[in-house]
This record gives sequence, structure tokens and C-alpha cells, in this order.
Amino acid sequence: MERRKFLGLSVAAFAALPVLLSATDFRATKPDAWTAKTVEDAIKALYGSAELIEKDVKVKAPKVASNGGAVPVTVQSDIPAKTVTIFQDANPESAVATFELNEYSIIDFGLKIKMKQSGTITAVVEGTDGKLYVGKQTLEVALGGCEG
Amino acid sequence: MRIKAKIKGDAVQVKVMAKHDMLTYDQAKKKGTEANFITHISAKVNDKVVYDASTSQFLSKDPLFQFKFKASAAKAGDKLEVTWVDLKGKTETDSKEIK
Repeated sequence: MERRKFLGLSVAAFAALPVLLSATDFRATKPDAWTAKTVEDAIKALYGSAELIEKDVKVKAPKVASNGGAVPVTVQSDIPAKTVTIFQDANPESAVATFELNEYSIIDFGLKIKMKQSGTITAVVEGTDGKLYVGKQTLEVALGGCEG
Repeated sequence: MRIKAKIKGDAVQVKVMAKHDMLTYDQAKKKGTEANFITHISAKVNDKVVYDASTSQFLSKDPLFQFKFKASAAKAGDKLEVTWVDLKGKTETDSKEIK
């Protein structure tokens, strides 16, 4: 009886495993990157280095954003990559989002983000060659988005 | 959640709009409540992960996620399933047929 009960339990435990087994929760694996106050510290916390190559990463955002509560940002690149992360320097902390890539991914990510004030959006592409590629876009924010 | 997924050439173009307040720590403090925002969102089709993002408090309210993935992962009529989870552990899943 005991053994049967144990078997039943282990089946239940397997069924409860998260469905997305291949996904990494970067908030859990790299917690320091999400509380870092500067873009440089966040990049170091996430990637262990802040040696960046400035090429082949395109960050698109309006030059002047009328509403800081929803600034449209797009990151595009053709670099074969493992991850892509978006940072900004207008808010108390700098990390915005980390995308994990696989063989189906295309680096063309659009998001709407909050910016408290004018600043620079930085996108880092972690290439499959282990190097970090970066693209930037500075913009003015007319009305800050974190006030409420 | 509102989802649009359309095949265009070699890529599937997707737009997802999640309904969430995305309350930052600062905003929550002012309102006297707790911060809560989407911390992870992913999309899959035919059991293949085609989008996976760990996210922070700085996405807009009712955040919009736009992305593309290779059309080799799906064909028209397949279902794209999107799931998000927030800081408090709430999850929401929705799916949409790819056009």
C-alpha cells in the first residue's frame, strides 16, 4: 500500500511541473540585474561583463514621446543570439525586459514602456559567440510616466 | 488578453495586449497599495516556445507585446498560446488561431 501511495504522489508531482520547461526566469536566476540602478550595473549583473560592441543592433523609439507612460520601443537585429535585454536610464531601476531566444526567434521585439523622464534606451544582444552587442536611442519625454 | 497572429512571408507577426495595471513600486507607494506587474510572458505554438520574456515594472499599463517568429514553427490554423504571470503569482492564458 505504502509503495502504491508513493507512486501516485510522484505522478501528481510530475503533472504539476511547469509547462514551459525551456524558459528561463531571469528575474529568479539574475535577481541583481532587476534592482540595479544604472544600466552598466544591470548589464554586469545580467551578463557578467559590460564590454559592449556598438553595432548591428537597432533601437527604434520616437525622438520626442508625448506620453512617458507608454513609449513605443522596437529592437531589431540579425545577430545570431541567445538573449536580448532592454534597459533605460530614466527610471529608478534600469532593466525593462529580457527575451530568451531559440531557433524560431527573430529579433524584432516591440514593447511599450514607462519612462519617468527623458533618457536613453539601451538594447543589449547576447550573441551566440558570447559577445555583447549594443544599440541605443536617446529620447525626450514630455510627460513622465511614473507619476501615476 | 487580445492576441493577433498573422503569417507574413517567412515570419509570423504577433501582437499581444495584456490587461494589467503594471503598478510600479513608486506608484503603489503613492496609492498605499502593493506593487504588482507582469514578470514573465511566453508564447508557444505546437508545444514550441516562440516568445519568452522576463519583464519588469516599467512596461506600460495594459502592456503591448509585439514580436515575430519564424513561420517554420507554425502554419495557418495553428493555435498560439500566450501565458503571463505577475508578481503576486496570478497567471492568465489565452490562445488565438494563427491567420
